[in-house]
Amino acid sequence: MKKLISPEELGRDDRFERADMMDRIADPRNATPPEDSKRGRPGRLTPDRADASDSARALMHGIFVGEIQALEGAGRTCYDFEVGKGDDDVPFELKLDMARQCWDEARHCEISVKLSDWMGTGIGEFSENAFLFQAACNPDPVLRLTGVNRALEGLAIDVFNTMREFGDLAGDPVLEFCEDWMLADEVTHVKMGSDWLRKLTVNDKERQKKALEFQKVVDKLFSFGGLRGEEDDNPIQLARRFRELAGFDDEEMEEIAELSREARAEVEERGRLAREANVQSGV
Amino acid sequence: MTTTVTPSTFTMVEYDAGVITGIADELADKVGLTGVDIEIEIDETVPLGRNRLESVDPVHIWVESGAFEDAKKFRQFSEVNAADVLGRHLMRAADRRSDAFGNPADDGDLSLEHRAAWDIYTVGRLTRLGYPANRQRWLYDFRNRHGFTDVTDRIFDELWNGTDLTWDRVSALSDEAAASNSGKLNRKPA
Amino acid sequence: MADSKKPRAAFAPWDRRELPGTFSVEETADRVGQYKWTEMKLFEALGGWVATVPELDIKMRLGTHCYHHAWHAELWHKRLPELREMNPERLTLPANDEFVAFMDAVTEPGEHDQTIEKLVGVYRVLIPHKIAAYTYHLNNTSTITDAPTIRSLKFAIADEVEDFTDGTLMLTSLIETPEEVERANAHQLKLEKLLVASGGICGPGTIGDAYDTSVHVAANGN
Ligand SMILES: [Fe+2]
Ligand SMILES: [Fe+2]
Repeated sequence: MKKLISPEELGRDDRFERADMMDRIADPRNATPPEDSKRGRPGRLTPDRADASDSARALMHGIFVGEIQALEGAGRTCYDFEVGKGDDDVPFELKLDMARQCWDEARHCEISVKLSDWMGTGIGEFSENAFLFQAACNPDPVLRLTGVNRALEGLAIDVFNTMREFGDLAGDPVLEFCEDWMLADEVTHVKMGSDWLRKLTVNDKERQKKALEFQKVVDKLFSFGGLRGEEDDNPIQLARRFRELAGFDDEEMEEIAELSREARAEVEERGRLAREANVQSGV
Repeated sequence: MTTTVTPSTFTMVEYDAGVITGIADELADKVGLTGVDIEIEIDETVPLGRNRLESVDPVHIWVESGAFEDAKKFRQFSEVNAADVLGRHLMRAADRRSDAFGNPADDGDLSLEHRAAWDIYTVGRLTRLGYPANRQRWLYDFRNRHGFTDVTDRIFDELWNGTDLTWDRVSALSDEAAASNSGKLNRKPA
Repeated sequence: MADSKKPRAAFAPWDRRELPGTFSVEETADRVGQYKWTEMKLFEALGGWVATVPELDIKMRLGTHCYHHAWHAELWHKRLPELREMNPERLTLPANDEFVAFMDAVTEPGEHDQTIEKLVGVYRVLIPHKIAAYTYHLNNTSTITDAPTIRSLKFAIADEVEDFTDGTLMLTSLIETPEEVERANAHQLKLEKLLVASGGICGPGTIGDAYDTSVHVAANGN
């Protein structure tokens, strides 16, 4: 079996459809800021939103495919690197953590399938994008761990907390119960990332800096132009209390909030430019 | 009676106004919506999927393009999704135009619970007209609005299987389910 | 209750554990290092396969099993210093080159359409062999001096048996045609030959020597 695979090589059955990201980027509708719609921005994901249950179902499917990719990413980290002390190697204990994460993510997939049934969503009902696994393809183990376990698993904390609150508000005992359990696992995974980043770069500040830079890139990308953030109308809210448990300090959380604001501003600016271009070309 | 789709040609999504008209006409016929013009306004500039029934004479339905989109392929049309959204609005338009049904408040003034209950009654009837729907999806929607209780599930069945219900009955069933809900939902109009 | 000061037998009538065992401290350390090496290769491969297996239920199950074997590797890793090997990496070794060739062949399939081969290697060949090797060790080591190894072996065997059942169920569901039966058997045959050539996870003598009749005679005091 070869080392270091690409997202195109992930195994999926026929129910799954990979979204072509070039199609998404080329979608001219991206030029319309949501506030230009007749009904404004969709806002925070709470049960009193008119489209609450369908939005929650779509998000649940996104979580499900995210869990599959998290499982695959953790599994590949067990396999892609050798135990050793070189820059391309990892400690034995790091592999053990990744195997543990593999089991956790497998359970999260199982939970997600059951939750999808509960919410009336079919496997493969929505398209899948492989953004998440892309971060798990980094050939530098420290960068991979930081991008996956601090940025993406951090996003998982935000998403699960949002869904947990959604379940709590709606009085949905199954959703709230499951999200709370998964949240506990994700805090553990982020803590693994924080601990390994510190341990592996204790004598290499340059590498630490590079890893944190990579984390920022991933964090910004996964703010999805303002989907996740701290403004009232960000559908997914930054979960400060749980991130703190996972080893983030106030400054780091402020930085993520700022990256989310930046990502949103950039998307809005891109939309403005695209609108101008559309006007000029008569679209 | 005519059905108009706006825009008549799409530049941002790969939709065909003729196909949408065909789906709407077949649905209107099946739900008994006759003698009225139908206007379907699609905001193709927005990828979200929000939608609403804006008037019943003429019947005016507004949707964002995501409402008719194939969830697996960007900008591609989904007949199933279009029939689901149009079917519910056309069925509710037929209800509103029927004297026997009664007089619900305007959509903008309906509570989320009443609206959800009406949707269940609507989708249940559409499935019997040959438009399949995922029952669990609608049960989840109804539970989200009315609470996760046995009372809610019993009332869901009554609405889903209901025929010839009036607005008074639909809203009373919704109120009964909501009364059993101890959840923390902050209720606002849809 | 009887008088609490009344002397009792140190080994109660139901406790018939014995002092002697087949393995010395050094032999035990060697075996434990070989177990750790094998468990590592196995959990790494299962982790790698998780990504390329298209069957959703199997993907999730392999993710779960990946951790079982990582945990066994950890148990053996922690046992080594207790067996006077302060540098566990030094003994984390395969028994011989032939066993390396066997494990390479087990972990080699990487394509989407090779789930049968992946599962045959692990659940028809390697895991049954590990159950045999672990059981032999369990039944032959000193029940008093080597109790910590016994405890780990029992945990590991419990996992192996459960995983073997899962693997058998998955394979049974995948093999639907005579061609697939042949495919599975051909792969199994290839791997079994490599395994026999290696002598097993600990090399020749992995499960003792069934033709050594002296052991039986001695036990009967003849
Ligand atoms: Fe997860
Ligand atoms: Fe995770």
